[in-house]
Amino acid sequence: MKILKYLTAAILAVTIYSCSSNETEILDGEGALTLKFDNAYKTSDLLLKTTPYKANETEQIKISKVKYIVSNVRLETADGTVFTYPKNQSYFIVNEEVISSQFITLNNIPEEDYTKLTFGIGVDQDKYLEGATGQGDFLSLAKDAGMMWSWQAGYKFMVFEGVYTSANTAEETAFAFHMGSHGSALDNYKEVSLDFTNSARVRVDATPEIHIVADVANILQGNTKFMLDDAAQIHVDGVKSPQIATNVNQMFTVDHVHN
Amino acid sequence: MKNLFLISLGFLLLFSCTKEEEEYVKIPTNINLKIPSNFPDIVYDLSKNPLTEEGVALGKKLFYEGRLASDGIISCGFCHEQASAFTHHGHTTSHGVDGKTGFRNAQPIQNLAFFSEFTWDGAAIHLDLQPIIPITSDFEMNETIPSVISKLSSYKEYDILFSNAFGDAEVTSERLLKALSQFMVTMISGDSKYDKVVRKEENEAFTVKEEKGFQIFNNTCASCHSGALFTDKSYRNNGIPVNPRFPEEEGRKRVSGFAEDFYKFRVPSLRNTEMSFPYMHDGRFGTLEDVLNFYTDGMVENGSEVDPILRKANGNLGIDLTQEDKENVIAFLKTLTDNTFLNDERFAEF
Repeated sequence: MKILKYLTAAILAVTIYSCSSNETEILDGEGALTLKFDNAYKTSDLLLKTTPYKANETEQIKISKVKYIVSNVRLETADGTVFTYPKNQSYFIVNEEVISSQFITLNNIPEEDYTKLTFGIGVDQDKYLEGATGQGDFLSLAKDAGMMWSWQAGYKFMVFEGVYTSANTAEETAFAFHMGSHGSALDNYKEVSLDFTNSARVRVDATPEIHIVADVANILQGNTKFMLDDAAQIHVDGVKSPQIATNVNQMFTVDHVHN
Repeated sequence: MKNLFLISLGFLLLFSCTKEEEEYVKIPTNINLKIPSNFPDIVYDLSKNPLTEEGVALGKKLFYEGRLASDGIISCGFCHEQASAFTHHGHTTSHGVDGKTGFRNAQPIQNLAFFSEFTWDGAAIHLDLQPIIPITSDFEMNETIPSVISKLSSYKEYDILFSNAFGDAEVTSERLLKALSQFMVTMISGDSKYDKVVRKEENEAFTVKEEKGFQIFNNTCASCHSGALFTDKSYRNNGIPVNPRFPEEEGRKRVSGFAEDFYKFRVPSLRNTEMSFPYMHDGRFGTLEDVLNFYTDGMVENGSEVDPILRKANGNLGIDLTQEDKENVIAFLKTLTDNTFLNDERFAEF
């Protein structure tokens, strides 16, 4: 009789347990997530060198280089839980010429349904001030990728180069915008926050991909309009560099999320 | 009771045995940095890069290592010679690989642990990151960090030096830069006659000329060349005429991008100034007399606002000093020469 009692209790327990596990998924593992950076020119895919694109007024550009540093990635759930990717692993270079650089895979992400992504463009002052400890291998990586200035110990946050023509400039003329922070004088590191319509469901066995479109037309045609006939080379400019940083910051949208 | 004792003894023996079987790793010897009592605190964060004898030894080896340059010859020490307060003796602007020249005068390497910005325009905002500029600049050492790493990795002597300093033989940019910083952090110059006078050591006292010079210096120079480091670390336009040989020179503007920073330069420390000639960002002045003559008679409007501190009550640019004043100021400046530092074998190449 006693045995029967125990048996009943056990069956009941198992039943309750299986019921509850059906209702709410237990999320305590870790998975991965991929950020895909897809550079575009307005509504078209970006093609380097061969394709002329319309910029401001009569200016036409052919783009040869688009590179930028993505850093300090954070993910947020609908209820406001934030996961910060480990800072010392959170610096990446996206280069239009290197396809593999356009897919950033983040590992050891807690299982969650994420609805918001935040990242920086460039390198924050805190990272600089960590000295050699903070830079690790990123220093060599950035140097190799041409993302450091040779005359100052600083990173280029964004490189945008090519040639242009206009009503005033018949011959193809080089343009180059390099944007970064200016020593201790000017901090041009800025962060981007993007919400997505469908959540990125990170699971042990499911790696979602957040497809981010970067409309590089925004560099010349964003919040501030840049006429290449006025200045085709902008490298370290106390007034224009922060405006370029804002234009770059606003060029990102999340197109969709694959689960 | 006896049994228990034997058992514990046995355990102890076992324990000590396993200890001995562990791989032997040499532990670097920590160094305590001695900061002169009349100096401020250092700003370099040693907690991220603790000083060790082995780290400093590696840093010194790297400082004098020609293989950091593309031609295998131009080391840091090539342009930073100890006898000249770690500047490039006899050169207005320094030359690097293949005889190429830059457009700046090599600055002394001394007391860098007390600074958070480096070079004439603040192009580096951390000591660890500063060496990247000369190593990779095409007219200085013209190398790349990955190439330097692979070169150093191929030499047995560096296996030992890196292992001693960092636990294993791997050469990384982080270790390379940290070792260089450790060596440079130890390069403190604070044992000049001036220091002994202010610290009241060895009954040291200024001569009458030096004392007069010190008073004039305090009244006319120390607003910029202030404190124990003899600089307020600011960037200022001192009204130096634009050098037509170097049209690319923009001073601090090159780093900040602000027009008002055109031809502003870092106020240099004056320690060991007697030995660190020539003077100014482009090394145009050969003597301290030239420098003081410039401040009395040579300042001009040069394209951005000259620092108001260098303007007299009547609106003219310049500092009023008589010939005798200048001689006294120079006598005082020479008390900043630190022969202990200039001859310190810890910093010497050989």
